[in-house]
Amino acid sequence: MQLRPILSTLRRHKLTASLLLLQVAFTCAIVCNVVFMVVQRIERVSVPSGIAEAELSIIHSSGFAGDDNPQARQATDLAALRAIRGVRSAVAVSSALPLSRSDSSYGICPDASSMKRAMQQRSPAGTGCLQPSMYDGTAGLIETFGLRLVAGRDFTPDDYVIGDAHKPPVVIITRALAQRLYPGQNPLGKSIYLDNAMIRVVGVVDRLLRPSLRTPAVDGDSMIWPQKPDRPWVTYVLRSAPEDRARILREGRAALLAASPNRLVNPERMEPYTEMRARFFQRDTTMIGLLVAAGLGLLFVTALGIAGLANFWVQQRARSIGIRRAIGATRGDILRYFQTENFLIVGGGIVLGILLAFVLNMVLMQHYELPRLPLFYLPVGALMLWLLGQFAVLSPALRAAAVPPVVAVRSA
Amino acid sequence: MFRYSFELAMHGLRRFPRTTLLAVLTVALGLATSMTTLALLHMLSADPLPGRGQHLYLAWVDTVQAKLADYPSLNGVTAKNYRRIKLADAQTLLQAHRATQQAALAGLDADVSTADGDHVQQGQSLLGTTSEFVPMFGVALRYGRSWSAAEDDARAPVAVIDVDLAQKLFGTGNVVGRSIRLDQTVFRVIGVSAPFAPQPHFYGLDRWAFSGSDLENVFVPYTAALDAGLMPGSADGCDASTKGHGSLFDVDPADCAWLGYWVQLDTPRQVADYRGYLDHYATQQPALEGRTRQKAQLHSVSEWLTQQNVVPDNARMNVWLAGSFLLLCMVNVAGLLTAKFLRRSAEIGIRRALGAPRGAVFMQHVLEATVVSALGGVLALPLTLLGLWILRMQDQGFTDLARLDPVMFGGLFVLALAVGVLVGVLPAWRASTVEPGLQVKST
Repeated sequence: MQLRPILSTLRRHKLTASLLLLQVAFTCAIVCNVVFMVVQRIERVSVPSGIAEAELSIIHSSGFAGDDNPQARQATDLAALRAIRGVRSAVAVSSALPLSRSDSSYGICPDASSMKRAMQQRSPAGTGCLQPSMYDGTAGLIETFGLRLVAGRDFTPDDYVIGDAHKPPVVIITRALAQRLYPGQNPLGKSIYLDNAMIRVVGVVDRLLRPSLRTPAVDGDSMIWPQKPDRPWVTYVLRSAPEDRARILREGRAALLAASPNRLVNPERMEPYTEMRARFFQRDTTMIGLLVAAGLGLLFVTALGIAGLANFWVQQRARSIGIRRAIGATRGDILRYFQTENFLIVGGGIVLGILLAFVLNMVLMQHYELPRLPLFYLPVGALMLWLLGQFAVLSPALRAAAVPPVVAVRSA
Repeated sequence: MFRYSFELAMHGLRRFPRTTLLAVLTVALGLATSMTTLALLHMLSADPLPGRGQHLYLAWVDTVQAKLADYPSLNGVTAKNYRRIKLADAQTLLQAHRATQQAALAGLDADVSTADGDHVQQGQSLLGTTSEFVPMFGVALRYGRSWSAAEDDARAPVAVIDVDLAQKLFGTGNVVGRSIRLDQTVFRVIGVSAPFAPQPHFYGLDRWAFSGSDLENVFVPYTAALDAGLMPGSADGCDASTKGHGSLFDVDPADCAWLGYWVQLDTPRQVADYRGYLDHYATQQPALEGRTRQKAQLHSVSEWLTQQNVVPDNARMNVWLAGSFLLLCMVNVAGLLTAKFLRRSAEIGIRRALGAPRGAVFMQHVLEATVVSALGGVLALPLTLLGLWILRMQDQGFTDLARLDPVMFGGLFVLALAVGVLVGVLPAWRASTVEPGLQVKST
C-alpha cells in the first residue's frame, strides 16, 4: 500500500486532519486515565470483608433507658430468633459491623515498653502502638459471621464479660493486625496493653474489615472481644441461606415484638448485610458510573467526529475516487485506502495522546492521590482507539468504495 | 454588512443539514456537561450563611504548651488542624469581649431522652457554645429564648433544641419549660429552634462539611455540658504537662485545644483592631524555646473554607472531566465546520471574486459557527436541567445543592456564545484564505 499518495492528500487537508488528530490525542489521554481511575475504584469497592455477606441479615432493636435487664431480654430474643425456620445462627452485637460506619477503636500497644514510650510522648507515632477497631458480641460471633480461625481458639463461655465496664481477659485479632503488632512472631499468648489492662491474644482470624475504611494498610486491623452488649439497644445478626433473608427479617421482627412489645424495631433499620455494604460504597459506585459514562461519551464523540469527517471527505473526493476506479482500482483498494488514511491519522493522534496521558497522570497524581499509570494501559488504549477509528470509518469507506467509475467522466 | 453576513450564515446552515445537526448536538452535549458540573461547584463554593457569613471570623491563638511535633498520626492518617483554642484562652477572650459578638463552640455527642426516659434519640450531635451563638449565627427560634451571658457564667443546665427533635421526643413542637436528659444529666429546655444546617458546616469541619442529614439539634452552654460529663471528641494538640489519666487518646478539657472561637466584626477597622488584639494576646503567652511558628490568626469564612479545602474532590474532578469533554466537543465541531466551509469553496471563491474582502467572508463564517453554538446552547439548557436532576438523585450530602440559579443560567448562554466564536475562528480563517481565482476556474 503506497503511503505517499495518502500523505500528500492529507497535506492538502492539513487543518481538518490535524483537528482530528488532536481529538484522538485528547481522547486517548483522558480515556486512559479514566479507565485507570475506574479500575482503582472498583478495587476499593470490591474489598473483601471476611464475613459471609450473602447470608447475613441485620435487625436493630431499641429498648428504653429504663430497662433493667438487658441480658435477660437478649437471651429471650436470641432464643426466639434462633427458633425461626432457616436461621442457622444468631448473635447480638452493640453496633459495630464491617462497613457499618459505627466504629469503636481503642489504642493498644504490643508491649509494656512501647506503652510507656507512647504515654511519654503523648502520641503513638513510631512506638508500634496502633488503634484497631473493636467488635463485641455474644457467643458464636465467629461462626455467625463466617470468619475463618487460622490459629488458636474461639472464646469459651468463661471468657465473656457483660457490658463495657470491665475489659475481658482475652481477645482474638486478625492476621493483618498480628503481623503489624508482632511481626514475624507467633501472636498467640502475647499480651496486648490497652489503657491499664493486659489482654491476652488467644486466636487469630484470617480477615475482618473495619466498620470504616481509612487506608488499605490499616483497613484489616480488627479485634474481637468476648464482651456481651449490655445496653437497651442492640443489633441482631442472623445467618441463613441467601434466599431466606427477606422472610427471616419479617419473621424476626415479629418474633422480637412478640417476645417483648416494649421496644422499637424500626423497619428501616433492618436489612440484609449486602444493602449496608452497598450504602457504604454508594459514593464510589456513583463515581464509577460517572467515569464510565464520561469515557463512553468521549469515545462516542470521537467516533462521530471521525465518521462525520470521513463522510465529508468521501463526498468531496468523489471525482478522484471515480478516476481511480476508472483506471483500474478495485473496490477493495478504495476501501483499504480510506482505512489506511484513518489508521495514519489515528496513529499520529495516539502517539501524541500517550504523551498527554502521562502528563495528565502526573497532574492527577499530585492533586487526587492517584497512583502512577501502569505502562500496559497505553498499548491497550492505543489498540482500542485504532479499532474505534477503523470501525467509525467503515461505513464512509464502504460508501466510497461504491462510487462508480463513471463519476470520473461526468462533469461535476 | 452585518445583516447580509448573518443572512448568508443562516443560509449556510441549511446546506448539509446533517452535518449542522451533528455539530449542534455535539456542542449541546459539551455545554450541558460543563454547565452541570459548574453549577454544582458554584453552589458548593457559595456563602454558607448568606448575609452574615462575610462578617464572621475564626480567631485563633496558638498557646498549646507542647513541642511542635507532627500532630498525632493515627492509623496512618495525619489529623488536620482546625484552629481551636484552649478553655482558659476562650474564657479570657470571652471576658475581654473585644468584638461585636463572639462565641466559643465545640461539637459533642450525647443520647438525648425525655426526663423520664420514655423516648430516647441516640447519638445526637450537640453544639456546646456560649450565649451569643444564636443571635450571631442567625439560628431562628420558634419558641422560647436562648440563654443569657449570666446563665453561661452560672453554668446553668439549659438547652435549646430544634423543632424536629422536640417532635420526636415529646410529640409536639412547643416544649419550652420541659426537661430532657443529655446522657444522664437533666437539662431544661428554654427554647426551640428551626433546624440549623448551613452548607458547608464551616464552624465544625472536624465533624462534617456537607451533609443532607447531619445537623446539630441541641445547643447547650459548653460549661454546663462539661459539668454533665460530655467530652469533646477531638482536639488540636494538648499541653505536654497533661496528666494523662485515662486512655492515650482522650481529650483533656483543661489542657487541650478543643474550642472553636468565632467573632463577628463588621468594619475593616474592627478587623484590624481585633487582629492587633490577638497578636498582642499571643505575645503575652509564656514562650517555648525553639518555637518560630505564627502565634495568632484571624480567618474570614471564605478564607477558612479555602484553606480547609472543603469543596469535595469529586466535585472538582467532575468540573475538569466536563471541561475536557467540552474541549473535545469544540475540537470536533471545529473539524466539522472546517470541512463544511471548505466544501463550499466554490461559492466563497465567487464571492471573493466579486469583491468581498476577506473580513466579510471571515465574519460570515464566524457568525455561522456562533449560530450553531447558540442553537447548541438552547438545546443544552434542558440537558443541563436533566443532568442536575440526575446529580440530585445521588444522595451524597452535597448534591442536594445541584440547582441552576439565574447567574448560572446567564452563564450558560455566555459560554455558548464564547464557544461559538472560539470554535469558528479557525475554520472561518481557513475559509477566508481560499484563493478566488482557483475556485472560479471549472473544477
